[in-house]
This record gives sequence, C-alpha cells and structure tokens, in this order.
Amino acid sequence: MISWWKGAALALVAAAGLAAPRAALATDIELFFPVPVDGALARNMSGLIKEFNDSHPDIKATPVFTGSYDDTLLKTRAAIKAGKPPAAVIMSANFLTDLSIEREIAPMDDLIAKEGKTSEAFMGQFFPALLPNAVIDRKVYGVPFHNSTPLLYINADHFREAGLDPDTPPRNWAELYDAARKLTKREGDRTTRWGLMMPSNYDYGGWILEALTMSNGGQYYNRDYGGEVYYDTPTMLGALTFWSDLVHKAKVHPAGEQKGPAVTGAFLAGQASMMIISTGSLTFIRDTAKFPFKVAFVPMNVRQAVPIGGASLVQPTGLSPEKRAAGWTLIQWLTSAEKSGWWSRATGYFAPNKAAYDLAEMKAFLEKNPDAKIAVDQLANAQPWFATYRTVPVRKAIEDELQAVLSGKRQPKEALTAAQKAADALMRPYVEDTALRLPGAE
Amino acid sequence: MTHVLDTIPAAAPAGPPVARAARRPGAGLLLPLALLSPSLVFLALFTYWPVVEVLWDATHAVTRRGTRFVGLANFAALFADPTFQRALLNNALYALGTVVPSLVLALAFALALNGAGRVRAVMRAVFFLPVMIPLVAAAALFLFLFLPGIGLIDYHLARLGLPGANWLGDPDLALAAITVLTVWKNAGYYMLFILAGLQAIPDEAREAALLDGAGPWQRLRFVTLPGLRPTFAFVGVIALLNAVTQVDHVFVLTKGGPSDATKLLLFYIYEQAAERYDAGRAAAATVVTLGLLAVLTGLSLARGQGPEAAR
Repeated sequence: MISWWKGAALALVAAAGLAAPRAALATDIELFFPVPVDGALARNMSGLIKEFNDSHPDIKATPVFTGSYDDTLLKTRAAIKAGKPPAAVIMSANFLTDLSIEREIAPMDDLIAKEGKTSEAFMGQFFPALLPNAVIDRKVYGVPFHNSTPLLYINADHFREAGLDPDTPPRNWAELYDAARKLTKREGDRTTRWGLMMPSNYDYGGWILEALTMSNGGQYYNRDYGGEVYYDTPTMLGALTFWSDLVHKAKVHPAGEQKGPAVTGAFLAGQASMMIISTGSLTFIRDTAKFPFKVAFVPMNVRQAVPIGGASLVQPTGLSPEKRAAGWTLIQWLTSAEKSGWWSRATGYFAPNKAAYDLAEMKAFLEKNPDAKIAVDQLANAQPWFATYRTVPVRKAIEDELQAVLSGKRQPKEALTAAQKAADALMRPYVEDTALRLPGAE
Repeated sequence: MTHVLDTIPAAAPAGPPVARAARRPGAGLLLPLALLSPSLVFLALFTYWPVVEVLWDATHAVTRRGTRFVGLANFAALFADPTFQRALLNNALYALGTVVPSLVLALAFALALNGAGRVRAVMRAVFFLPVMIPLVAAAALFLFLFLPGIGLIDYHLARLGLPGANWLGDPDLALAAITVLTVWKNAGYYMLFILAGLQAIPDEAREAALLDGAGPWQRLRFVTLPGLRPTFAFVGVIALLNAVTQVDHVFVLTKGGPSDATKLLLFYIYEQAAERYDAGRAAAATVVTLGLLAVLTGLSLARGQGPEAAR
C-alpha cells in the first residue's frame, strides 16, 4: 500500500512539474466562429489563427467552428452555462443587445482604457454605421469583425438578351419590377428563368425584409430600446406587399420559402437573372460565376437605405483575467487594418476597419474588382441591424409570416398583425421589467 | 466493504435466502443492492434525476424576477399555444405518414427477399443500405435532391417537361418531403425485424395451409400475418418512437419551417428551451409528449401480445 501511494505521489509531482512551465508558457483560449455564407471560410479561419499562434508564443488559440449565427449564439450560451466560456466569439452583430441585457457578455471599456485609449477613439477606427450594434448604453460590447449589406447581383448576359443595359441596373422598385418582368422566361406554365430571387429562410428572410422596409422609409425596430419592433406599420406593409406582388401578381419570383444556397445556386445556374443577397457572398460568386455579373445598391422606394449584417467579436462574462487578456489580444489582432483587409478580400465581407482601405493591397484589389468597391460605397446608406430582447424568436415571428405570405397562405396585412402580436408577447417580460415598470405599482 | 464480504460466506451455506431474509431483512437486501449499485447510480444520475427535474421545471416559471411554483399554468399555456397544437398535428400526420408506409414497404421487402440465394442476399444488403447512413448525412443529401429548380428531382422533372416544386419551401409539401425521406431511411431497418419474424413462423403451419389448398393471398392473410403479429407490435412501437425522437433531418432541412409546416414536437421543445429560454413550457411539452408515447406504446404492445398470451 505504501509503495503504491509513494508511486502515485511521485507521478503527481512529476506531472505537476511538467505541466507548470507549460501553463506559464501559453494561455489556452478558444475562439468560437460561425460560417454564415458560402465559400471556404472555415479553412481561411484556421489559417488566420495559425498565423496568430505563430506570432504570439504566449497564447494558444483554438478556432472552434460553431455553425450558423443562430447556432453560435446557442453554443456560446451553453458554454457559458457549463462554466467554460470561450475567450472570444464571432457573434452575429444583432445578438449583442440581447446578450448585454442578460449580462452574458462583458463590456471591454476597461481593456481599451488599459491601452491608454478612450472608447470613442478606439471605436472611431470603424465605420460609424456599425457602432449602434456594438456600443450599447455607451459601453463597448463588441468589436466589428466582418460586416455586410444586402446587394443586388445581376446577370449581365441576361440583361443584354432582354434588351436592358447591364451598366444601369435597377435603381428603384419600379425599375426592379419592370426588369424582373422582362427577364423572366416561361415555357407553358413552367418558369425556366426567374427575374429576381431573394432568400427567405430563417435569419436571411428577416434581413432582406428589413432592407426592403428601410428602403421604404421604415425603421423596423426601436434602435434605442430592446422591447419594441415596428412590424405592423405602413413601411413594412409596403415592403411585404411588394415582395408578395413579385411572387403572386407579376410571377417573376418563385413562391414559397427560398433558402440562401438555392438562390445563389439558381443565379449561378442561370435560372435567376437577379438576386438580392449578402455582400459576404461576393467572392464566392466572383470565383464561381461563368458569366459576367454586376452588382448594385439595393433598389429603393422612399430612400436609399440597407441594414448592416455580419458579426462582431465579443467576450463572455466569467472569464479568468489571463484568458480575458489573451482573448483581447486576439480580438485586437483580428480587427486590425491589415487582417481585417485580408479577411475582406478572402470573403467579400467589407472590412469594418476604415484604415484597411488605405493599405496598398486593398487599393490594388478594389482597382481590379470594382464590384467590391460598390459594396463598400453602399455603407454610406447603411443603418443598424434589427436587435431586441430575444432577437431570434422575435425575428422568427416575422419570418414565419413572411414565408406564409410568399406561399400564398396569408395576406400581407393580416400577416403583419399576427407577427406584431407574437413579437410583443415574446418581449413582454422585458417590457414589463423596464418600460412598464412604473413607480407605485409595487 | 468488510461487512459485505463477511455476508457472502455466511449467507451461502445458510439455507434458502427467503428464510434468512425473514430473520434479518436488512442483510438480505444489502448484497443485491451492492451488486446493483453501479447501474443504480447511473440510472439515478441520468434517468431518474432528470425525470424529477423535468417535473419540477414543468410546474415552475423562471421569470426575470425569480422562480416560483405555478402548478399547471405551464400546461395551460402550452395547450393554448397554436404552435404547439400545430406541432401535435404535424407529429400525428408525420407518425401516420412514416409508420404505415414504412411497415408496408418493410413487409413487402421481407416477403420478397425472404429465403436463401445470392441475389436475395445482395438485395437485402441494398435495401438495408439507407439504415447505415446517419440521418444527418441523409438529410444533407436530400437537401440537394430537393433543391428547387436545380436539384436532382426538379432536374429530371424538367427533362420530362413537368414543372418542379419548391419541395422544402412550400408549407403544403415540406412535411411530405420530410416524410418521404424518413420512409426511405427506415423501411430497410424494419425489414430486418420482419425477416426475423418470418423465420419464427413454423413451417408446419405453412405446409398445412398448402395441403388445404390455400392460395398465396390466403396463406399471407391467415398464416403469415397472424404469425407476424408480435413482430409488428414491436416494430410499430420502434417506428412510433422514431417518429417522435428523430428530428435531425428537420434541423438540417427546414428548421421547423416554412411557417411551422414541419414543426414536430421535439423541435418545438428544442425551440422553447434553447431559443426562447422558456424551460417551464419546454418541460411541460416534454411531459405531454412522453405521456402520449407511453400510452401509445402500452396500447400497441398490449394488442400485439394479447392473442399470444391467450394461446
């Protein structure tokens, strides 16, 4: 018995002796990252993290692929509950409001102050349109990593064939409607080519509907308070009716829910002449399309406006100081002008860091790919992205109704009434705890 | 540890255990309990404790101001939720649409491929193949088949001059599409059980029927099917469980959409728990689902074994 104990004790000491210097050598951290669009993003991310580890011997970062934006939120919350939060997460920018309400992510102002910068100066490196989704209650909760806007993609060959000029793509809804009619081809009652396609699956549908609503003068949600959405409004009714008319009246857009990959697939196969999808797919389309294509701003009805999309780097609460510091180093490295620019060229997302566009490589790249420049120029019209308490179910409330309208199961007006009711019920607990928590009630 | 070791030599020669247990009831229980304890610990940790926790969750509400006991309020809210009613209906349709056709197909395959012969063996393997593909992978495969316009199904329909459909994006078709995938996936699995059941039917019964001049249909109706009754009861329960517990393909293909058209009970529970953070309603839905399953399983096993017991 005694010898057994001695042996075990010796082994323990030896293991501790081996482990101790290693622990002092490198801090192990995890980075959760989603892949929301087409392309080889996961491979690019592994390469990027390898480069980070090679240049930072005191940190060992592991990239963990966590699926879609929605899945990443879920997995991050599960990791926080399990007491093992990752040191950094690339989080869909519109989840930051909900996460900050629930105090699941930590503000980074103290880390910024430690660098001797003010929060304003630090966030000043990024495009101003991105700030409302990253700075909440004047605290910095996220650092923009890659961002996007919806963009109109057109098949130039189809345009010429239909007698349209590919150099002047549709600028407003009337021109879009008209072009879509001219581009649609039918054989009997079978449509062989659609004039326009827009994705309406969960997550994508709400974003595209937001783009149409904002182009119609709408706000979509209260950007200063997480308990209000404006679903049942004239601006959204106009946007939803427009989409519904494209499907059911003009029959230039296929009926039912369309998934993102189905839309890009149809466009690449020449079965759709125009599509409105994320700038994040730009590189994939450029590399895959076997025909000349052009991109343009999302056509407007009342004003030129689109929501931003994309993701910011956030840090969960409950991290040890070492992991937090190591995660912060990774976050700063990933969002620097140089890396931000490289990631932008690899994916098609625009680089949130303004300085990325002053670098020589980026200037040369934009010279060669004027379509990427249009995506950046549209930022001048960008608005913040829909973010509330319980963002995902509140968004699904409108997406379920959108899908019902596109399938011809509901009229736009009744759909919006139902969506508003469902969303209000979901946000009720927060509203009761904030805007409706009045003095004298308790 | 020592007292357990002591009981073994003492208990072994001491006559029938019943008599001993009557004298010292504690000691008689100790050994069985000690032997069972490893599995009991795991059962308690991973089965009984979660059951208790689900029941606790189902009767409590977690709000931003704390947790309180709400009795059956979660169940009332659950049954008032139109999405839950839709999920119940969807799951009933899905169960009916998957269990019946896959059992009929499985019976047909089994009858055709029963017996020896190389061709039959190869065909059995072919029909069993879909079972070996994980459901997630099968769903990813069907994503390409179902793609509107450019998918395999629409491509071939277009060659025949037929208009395709938005298989997963049309609320009228999406559940049917998911059902077809499930039948394709499961029929081969159920075929195995029925093949085994066919082996158990005594040859004498078949020979007697042949001598009596029974035709193939009569032999199937009066000999084979009654002989397969316990098998069907068992496979039916398995199929029913599958219809409730397997939603991998819903995650991959539709995420419950479009407009709740493919929302099955388990997906509904997942959404309540993981997206809406409503543990109370998720637990209530779990209790209702498990209750329904228990009743259906009990009924179908009792029906299957009834005549067996009478014989």
